Amino acid sequence: MDAVQISHVTRTFGNVTAVDDLSLIVPQGSIYGFIGPNGSGKTTTMRMIVNIFYPDSGEIRLFGNSRPENSSDLIGYLPEERGLYQKMTVQALLEFYGELRSGRGVKAEVATWLERLDLANRASDKVETLSKGMSQKVQFIAAVIPEPKLLILDEPFSGLDPVSADAIRSALLDLRRHGVTVILSTHDMNLAETMCDYIFMIFRGRKVLDGTLASIQDQYGDDTIRVTVSGDVATVQNLAGVNQIRDLGQVQELRLQRGADPQEVLRALVAQARVTSFSLMKPSLHDIFIRIAEPPDLEAKHANA
Amino acid sequence: MRTHKVLTIAKRDYIATVRTKAFIFGLVVAPVLFGGGSIGMSFLTGKPDLKDRHVAIADHTGVVGEAVVSAAREKNGRELFDKKTHRQLLPRYTFEIDAAAAANTGAKANGELLALSDRVRRKELVAFLEIGKDVLHPPKPAEDSDEGTTKKTDPNASVSYYTNAGGIDEIRMWLNGPINDGIRMARLAELGIDVKRNKDLTASIPIEGLSLVERDVKTGEVHEARKRSELEGFLVPFGLAMILAMIVMVGSAPMLQNVTQDKSQRIVETLLGAASPFELMTGKVLGSVGVSVTSSLLYVIAGAVAVNVMGVAGLLPLSIIPWFYIYLLADVVMLCSFAAALGACCSTPQDAQNLAVVLLLPCILPMFMLVTVLRQPNGTIATVMSLIPPFTPILMLLRQAMPNGVPAWQPWVGLVCVLAFAIGTVWAASRIFRVAILMQGKPPQLAEMLRWAMKG
Repeated sequence: MDAVQISHVTRTFGNVTAVDDLSLIVPQGSIYGFIGPNGSGKTTTMRMIVNIFYPDSGEIRLFGNSRPENSSDLIGYLPEERGLYQKMTVQALLEFYGELRSGRGVKAEVATWLERLDLANRASDKVETLSKGMSQKVQFIAAVIPEPKLLILDEPFSGLDPVSADAIRSALLDLRRHGVTVILSTHDMNLAETMCDYIFMIFRGRKVLDGTLASIQDQYGDDTIRVTVSGDVATVQNLAGVNQIRDLGQVQELRLQRGADPQEVLRALVAQARVTSFSLMKPSLHDIFIRIAEPPDLEAKHANA
Repeated sequence: MRTHKVLTIAKRDYIATVRTKAFIFGLVVAPVLFGGGSIGMSFLTGKPDLKDRHVAIADHTGVVGEAVVSAAREKNGRELFDKKTHRQLLPRYTFEIDAAAAANTGAKANGELLALSDRVRRKELVAFLEIGKDVLHPPKPAEDSDEGTTKKTDPNASVSYYTNAGGIDEIRMWLNGPINDGIRMARLAELGIDVKRNKDLTASIPIEGLSLVERDVKTGEVHEARKRSELEGFLVPFGLAMILAMIVMVGSAPMLQNVTQDKSQRIVETLLGAASPFELMTGKVLGSVGVSVTSSLLYVIAGAVAVNVMGVAGLLPLSIIPWFYIYLLADVVMLCSFAAALGACCSTPQDAQNLAVVLLLPCILPMFMLVTVLRQPNGTIATVMSLIPPFTPILMLLRQAMPNGVPAWQPWVGLVCVLAFAIGTVWAASRIFRVAILMQGKPPQLAEMLRWAMKG
């Protein structure tokens, strides 16, 4: 059974169509990454799944149920805009959220999670005394207590230091192993590539990418060359068959024009610079994101550079 | 609706509110202010201003002024001092007959009146009195005077009292008796009746206010009418209505801030991830009801102790207490739902502050009607206003607490209307709440809120 099934859902706010005729299936037990520029419709889609917003048209089914309010007890939700009752203690706050979702005491689970995320010694402190990173970990615990069947996280890693981010990443992978379905939105393309089973990109309210990383990359083919040359970026410019150049510092990334021959590009490169490495590859998710979201006039500028 | 979610939210909000310093401070300070005010009043009443009250009389009759002087002398002798302790209880009333002012008429008289007015301004007098020359035998009004035109008072056939004092003027109130007694005595003397030998002619008899005679339903025994005091007829109903209004305002006003705070601190979205907007709002309203009931219990217990100590417990109609609580609950539910909807429309505490007056209107408006209702508790205006749901709790309670009571059907009809209105308010408020709770920016216009309430 699919965890989430979105069918032809549209949601507007006044004259703005935030989500436009969206259909999406999230398989149970997977980690599904939502990517897209700011304001593209990620948060609205998540809020509709959680049932905070109602779709204007279309249907959302959770675990086969057509009435999401019946399934909301199964969902753990971490909103993008974090907020906690500042005057409550960490322990009381987490017990409140756990009890609110499950209707039972969750003392033991709270203790386990506080221990796991290195917050046990702050259990009796008021939330207002915590640092931003600690507050974020507390909010994450509030979303996973008691263990949900579906976990929806809106940018869960933003503002976290590498140690805390690793702790949450490890917790998420662990939850997935227990069969929890995870939907998360992120602007970190590297994280989406390495962590998510499926990636969904929404742009201006419409679905533009959906599938595994490999299937998405296959749509673009092997059109990317990474080269290292002695000298600066000027030595790789004005190459025939190259559409765009991204200077990554030590490495330059060249995007080939459709139908261009990589061998021809290599020959042209060798003719004008000393090449120390050359690899033909599929585009990265970051590159794909930019190809979709970058304004067309900017893309044209790159090509002429 | 999932009950456990509603109760969990209600419990958290209740505990968070009753633990705040503002709530504890309010619980202690409000009774202290009220109690302190009463103690202060009784202290001041027990220590009246005992300075002499000196009044001049320009008496154009030559007899009525003397009667006033003699009545004042008699009053001073009778009431001025406590007979046992000889402590002065009241200020002395002294009157002087101003012969010069009484002798003059026309322009000259105006000069005399101005001179007397200046003496009042210099605080030599508290007032002066002019008794017209025709007060003993006022001329008959002209028959051809048109109906509807304002009749001008004939200064010669009336008594004028000049003062610059404000507030309740006890001398003026007292003078009404001696002046009219003086006029009557002068008229009787003209008829050759010796008033001093027939004092009954001017003796006034007080009218005692009593309740109706009742028959005991169980024993069949007929109970005598009880003596009714001003306290029973006015202060008890007024006090109950005020306490109700106060508890409702104290209980519902924090809701506006509470919802706005949850919204501005971004807490609300996390809550909406676990509970529906209706569950969230109902939980918050229930928490506020709990806070109101807690504070009301304390006030009612303190009030009961106070009336017992004061020895006026018998004046409190106990049958009204259940109605008090029913109205309290309905009013708090109505106002808290309204507050939740308004709070959801606010993005900042400033927005909430601006809307606070709108929220309290259902409590403030009945206050302007209290006097009208107290004067004619079963008049058409009082009846109609007390059956309009937002005003019913305060106005119907006020009417029910008065000695005459209200027809039996009215509280029940009022209650049905209030409950229907409360349910309607919760329903409409939850729809506005759901739409507005995640919106940011300028608060919506009233028309927009009404559209959300209708369409959801």
